[in-house]
Amino acid sequence: MSDDNVEIKDGMKIRKLTELRTNTAKAYEEAMLSRVEEFKVKNKNESQFNDVIQNTIVQAFSSLLDIKLQVDKVLGEENLKKVHKVINEILLTGL
Amino acid sequence: MYHLDNEEYVKEPYYRKTTSVCPECLQPIGAEIFEEDEQIWMRKNCEDHGDFRDLISSSAKYYKWTHYAIKDKNGNVVWKFDKDGETNPPDFQGDDPRGCPYNCGLCEQHISTCSLALIDLTNRCNFNCNFCYANILQSGYLVEPTLEEIDRVMKHFRSKPIPAVAIMFTGGEPTVRKDFPEICKMAKDNGFKEVIVATNGYGFQRKKGGLEFTKKCKEMGLDTLYFQFDGINDATYEKTRGIKKLMSYKQRVIDNLRKARLDSTVLVATIAKGVTDIEVGNIIQYAIDNIDVVRGITFQPVSLCGRIAFEEREELRITNADVLKEIEKQTGGKIAMENAWYPLSTIVEFGRVIAYLADVEPIEFTCHPDCGFASYMVVDPDSGEMMPIMEYFEPLKVIDFANRFWAKIKDKEKKPLKLFEGLLGDFGKTLDQGLNYLDKTQLKARFLLGILQYMKKPGKLMELFSRLLMRGDWESISSFSYGALLLSSMHFQDAYNMDLERAKRCIVHFGVAMPDGSVKEVSFCTMNSIHRPEIEKQVAKQITAKVRAEFDTSTGQEAIEVQPEVARNGGIKKDGEE
Repeated sequence: MSDDNVEIKDGMKIRKLTELRTNTAKAYEEAMLSRVEEFKVKNKNESQFNDVIQNTIVQAFSSLLDIKLQVDKVLGEENLKKVHKVINEILLTGL
Repeated sequence: MYHLDNEEYVKEPYYRKTTSVCPECLQPIGAEIFEEDEQIWMRKNCEDHGDFRDLISSSAKYYKWTHYAIKDKNGNVVWKFDKDGETNPPDFQGDDPRGCPYNCGLCEQHISTCSLALIDLTNRCNFNCNFCYANILQSGYLVEPTLEEIDRVMKHFRSKPIPAVAIMFTGGEPTVRKDFPEICKMAKDNGFKEVIVATNGYGFQRKKGGLEFTKKCKEMGLDTLYFQFDGINDATYEKTRGIKKLMSYKQRVIDNLRKARLDSTVLVATIAKGVTDIEVGNIIQYAIDNIDVVRGITFQPVSLCGRIAFEEREELRITNADVLKEIEKQTGGKIAMENAWYPLSTIVEFGRVIAYLADVEPIEFTCHPDCGFASYMVVDPDSGEMMPIMEYFEPLKVIDFANRFWAKIKDKEKKPLKLFEGLLGDFGKTLDQGLNYLDKTQLKARFLLGILQYMKKPGKLMELFSRLLMRGDWESISSFSYGALLLSSMHFQDAYNMDLERAKRCIVHFGVAMPDGSVKEVSFCTMNSIHRPEIEKQVAKQITAKVRAEFDTSTGQEAIEVQPEVARNGGIKKDGEE
């Protein structure tokens, strides 16, 4: 946070939050990723991050999400509502 | 307004009846919650002490949204924020004709289970805040359970059909106890998944030994600090705690936590009007700047204890809605009241689905909608800026899907498939286990696909989220929450605004080891507003020379750099001292 965004009012430091950005965004992102690495090492075979099936599912899910977002744009809001309704019916059927 | 499918609802004046207590004699009395000038108020009358009136919410519109109910074609309520919890059997058959809250123990009127167990480890403290409800200097006696008593309380909470998952040590200042790290280990040994300490930072900030203490606590099982943090200005602490230059003390705690990699801290800010409300933006930015250590912020609108005239209360009273408005204002609208915040009870069904699919103990947030609000901030990988997680989802649609999903599968939890056990014995049992595993796997896939429909952004965060949905174990929770900041606003009740509908749904319970060998379980707000003096009288101990010696700054505990007259001897003055 630069000093430009700090106002002194009655002797108190007041930050003007024009954006919610961390000073250490990059380091933070790396830390978030290294957290995964840490679990991989610490929990060894017990860790889901070392589970091939789990990782494949997550990867597939991620690809599916990318496709879904593209399709959402094409469908438009009204059609999307209808699609959601049908998908929900399918997903909740037989439970 | 957002999320409402019936806008007319917010135009209707709000009104309901409830039960409260008289702030003077603490006897239960009827109360009305009503709307006036776009605010929500409580009014009540005690035959002996007259009329009372108090502000419940400064935003009638927001309040009404949190009490909104979705109805079916026949007018039956099918969903509301107010959730019935799964309950444990009552511990106590109270015979007080006044009923709740005088039969606490817990009695059969309580309709939520305990999600967070609390144990007061001591009423000693190195600070002497004048508003504190648990302070040896004000009470004149010691309340400090033995290790055996603490173990008894832990076993009480863990032995229930629905055991408490998390435990928080409170006080006083829990870290003044030399055996504090051993108590953390005891909690883990008793099966608590999350061990938390509510602290002003005393043990962790010490220049000599603070880092070693922090490492030791982590090693022994401490997971999270619930860290008193009123702002970033020394002047604020001088007003709230009566102590000069406290910010460097607070910063030392964060520095030691970082060095020890004890990386789960929740900043806890008591919000008083005109005192700390101007700090909310500062606190949020401080948390973001220390995101590798800080996991959340809890804003707590101040509870008003003691006898306070209406005019003075009106000046001091601040509600959850005021805090949310202030956060919106001080973050330039980036954390907006109308789309970033939800009552804690919103995610009850969602949490139950996750817990069932992941085979973990559920945490039930079935508290009353007035108790607290939460928002979850995450870093947008594209902009590097933090934003509410609602930006990634269509929140109410996700919640609606989770509710419908839970309604369909909830019986499976109680009745797992048993097709072959009766026919084929042990082999059949194994077959049934396999079938149940397959069943759960297909349920996970269905649920994940259901949620996927309402996701709005791709990226690594969503990958971690998918792991959370599939596994829901502590590894997935930790890896997901490492990149996020949980904001919440929790308004604890006092005798002026006590609503017993809230008390009955409380999910935060104190456990006290009583002299007769039993454990008394009492909900948070009724403990602090009503029961504390009576219970403490029963468990109080004399302040002995041994206690004085243990916490004597001249024999082992180094002096700390805060105002000496409140910091010495853990709040116990030596003989002859003023």
